[in-house]
Amino acid sequence: MSITLDQVTKHYAGAPVVNDVSVNIGDGEFFVLLGPSGSGKSTLLRAVAGLTGVDHGRIALHGRDVTHVAARKRGVGLVFQNYALFRHMTVADNIEFALRVRHMRARARRQRRQELLRLVALEGMDDRLPAQLSGGQQQRVAVARALAHKPEVLLLDEPFGALDAKIREELRRTIRQVQRELGITTVLVTHDQEEAFAMADRIGIMNFGRLLEAGVPHDLYSRPATRFVATFLGAANLFLGHRTADGIKVGDAIMAAADRTPGAPEHEVVAVVRPEEVEVAATREALGSRYLGQGVVEELVFTGAFERLRVRLTDGTGAPLLASDEGELSTTLQVTRTRHAQRGFELRTGQTVAIGVRRLHVLPTPLSSFTACATTAALAESLGRQPLLAELATRMKTRIGVRVEPRLGVPDAPCEAPEGFAGATVLAAQPDCAQRAEWLLRRGAQELLVLPAQAAPPQRVLIHWTDEAARSATLGVSASVLRHVPAEAVYLGIFAAEREGVHPQGMRELLDARSEAQASHGLEMRTELRYGDATQELVRHLGDSPAPMLILGVADLAGFAARWRPLLDGGRWPVLIVQRPTA
Amino acid sequence: MSFKKPSMLPGFGLTFGFTTVFLSTIVLLPLAALVAAGTSLQWSEFLHVVASPRALGSYRLSFGASLLAASINVVFGFIIAWTLVRYEFPGRKIIDALIDMPFALPTAVSGIALTTVFAQNGWIGRYLEPLGIKVAYTWLGVTLALTLISMPFAVRAVQPALLEVQRELEDAAETLGAGRFYVFRRIILPTVLPALLTGFTLAFARAVGEYGSVIFIAGNIPMKTEITPLLIVIHLEEFDYHGAAALGLVMLAMSFVVLLTINLLQAWGRRRHVRAAH
Repeated sequence: MSITLDQVTKHYAGAPVVNDVSVNIGDGEFFVLLGPSGSGKSTLLRAVAGLTGVDHGRIALHGRDVTHVAARKRGVGLVFQNYALFRHMTVADNIEFALRVRHMRARARRQRRQELLRLVALEGMDDRLPAQLSGGQQQRVAVARALAHKPEVLLLDEPFGALDAKIREELRRTIRQVQRELGITTVLVTHDQEEAFAMADRIGIMNFGRLLEAGVPHDLYSRPATRFVATFLGAANLFLGHRTADGIKVGDAIMAAADRTPGAPEHEVVAVVRPEEVEVAATREALGSRYLGQGVVEELVFTGAFERLRVRLTDGTGAPLLASDEGELSTTLQVTRTRHAQRGFELRTGQTVAIGVRRLHVLPTPLSSFTACATTAALAESLGRQPLLAELATRMKTRIGVRVEPRLGVPDAPCEAPEGFAGATVLAAQPDCAQRAEWLLRRGAQELLVLPAQAAPPQRVLIHWTDEAARSATLGVSASVLRHVPAEAVYLGIFAAEREGVHPQGMRELLDARSEAQASHGLEMRTELRYGDATQELVRHLGDSPAPMLILGVADLAGFAARWRPLLDGGRWPVLIVQRPTA
Repeated sequence: MSFKKPSMLPGFGLTFGFTTVFLSTIVLLPLAALVAAGTSLQWSEFLHVVASPRALGSYRLSFGASLLAASINVVFGFIIAWTLVRYEFPGRKIIDALIDMPFALPTAVSGIALTTVFAQNGWIGRYLEPLGIKVAYTWLGVTLALTLISMPFAVRAVQPALLEVQRELEDAAETLGAGRFYVFRRIILPTVLPALLTGFTLAFARAVGEYGSVIFIAGNIPMKTEITPLLIVIHLEEFDYHGAAALGLVMLAMSFVVLLTINLLQAWGRRRHVRAAH
């Protein structure tokens, strides 16, 4: 491995800017770090270069641990967005800078310089000053300068940001060519997904300081695991659907074949449909794909090779469209059509069309939507407007439903809402909410968020489960939550006090938990080992943390309310309960 | 005579006229008067005044101490400017404001304050005395006073240039393998050198003309701690206007030579860059 990052974390003013990032980058690989501004990608790059220290974690280059090695001894080349050329030096002096530092002889220096100038196609420019070059040429000089000392790793920090489209294209090709020719491991930071697709062997997508997903461009585009990646990498229509025995149901229509064993329980899922996978036709019969519903063309934009449409769903199949790329709840689908499709069926705005879906991808996220539950509609709706819940829903691009249970918490009373539980149920933290939580869990709620009215976005998420049966589900939910909040994740393994002597076993369980979180859920978390009563330890830890949230996995509901009352009834912290019964 | 029209805005005639009149009235005319007064002496009389041992001693002190003070200010002014530009610390704004204090203080007050501190029984002077270092009433004191009053010029000249040195240049140099001293010598210093020279020029010019603060700390011993401006005042008090003008003329000429040299140096540095470019 060329670059190995292990749980790299960097805090700035208390908040994590880079949060538990672990990744391996192979020899000669072109790795692109993609993310919106403020996602921590540049900070991560500076940490690899050694210009920023890390608070936690390790960085290794070619197997050598460089976590505490100064930048000048790391053997990396770095290219900046604004070139950072030495303006009082000629092109030749700029390129030879690293060689002079290393006391290389003049002849060898000149030879290396000629080589590099040829590589970046700037022969004969030796005696120019940076001010006499165009932006594209300056950046070529910067690349040559960064390569002069034959670094093992080339780091590029938004190198095309200051250039216009045409030069950018050209420089991209040059850099890719140089990279292939030298076989140098390269990391490029960008916020431009087109650039990422054009250059990357592998893309890592960052948000809120976390590396959400890493993979080859094609896989990330066609099979994203998270809502953020689905909508950030290209445009996407998100639907709420149901995984049933017959297949994936969106509204009343079956949109895809069953992809799980028939015995699996029915549950709510988030489905991604790319704009180019949506088909429009004059009638339902004319569709070559599965029928979703009727719609009206609201907007039609011709972009050359493609036509972009916005089609509003009109009929009542009730397909719950969560978001198109604006991130707002809407009923408007994004569609792109090729020239070929345009010729076959010409469209005007205002036209009614039949909509079909060619291909749909189901996200593995367990938190599909939120449902605020209370005894009256007014209470449920006001709970649905709680700021933290609203923010979570916006970030997850999902919706908040309402469920009224007039006899919430009354022993032996059945559920009154007709439908089953979908997604996460939300309950207001009140003096007697442990009782109510147990009531809902016993009646089928699998994910239950107990939410204090004052709860703020969490800075630390504690994860704990009482039973191995709930482990996988709890990690899945934790991963889903932590992709959307800039918080650190800490798994607490708590063992009864009398087992204090059995250290190795506790440690092993922590390591197992961590590796499962990494391997199956893409979640990086810290682990801590505690001894004592689980409830007391959790209360203590929550009390010590700034803005904490707890994700608690349970299997057995016997004595639930009595056991967890100290955590829930005070209404001090948001607690997300994940219930999975023992098999 | 015809002027190119450099701007689409009207009013060039007006502004150029104003510039000419303004400069003539407050700069050129008084200088001309000085030259006239100075040269109205007989050559032998002129030589007698400006080449007297006392005058020669005062030139040495005035120009030597001023050059020394400007040099000190370039070094320490750079450090102060660096601290203010690069670091965030409580009280930064206050220190930044303190820099300009020597501008605002009447120079006589600065002189008296310095004397109080550095006299043989002053706050610092009393500890220097046993070490055999005398500050007040020696050339050291003169240099100290000139350093104090010319310090803001050096700091204020370097500060904006340092702001221009992007952090990323240092980062780039560091990843290329350069150590701190190398980065300073090859990246930072060349970038701020023109500003340092300007700071030196301004500080020197201010120091040469200084009078008020020096006379309190210098002790004004002829041949030893007597600066040229004081000598001029002494001539004036004896109603020897022509002698005073002659000394002024010499100062003017010497200052002109020094300033011209520095300017030529700067121009030469710039030319060297441009030549390297072709």
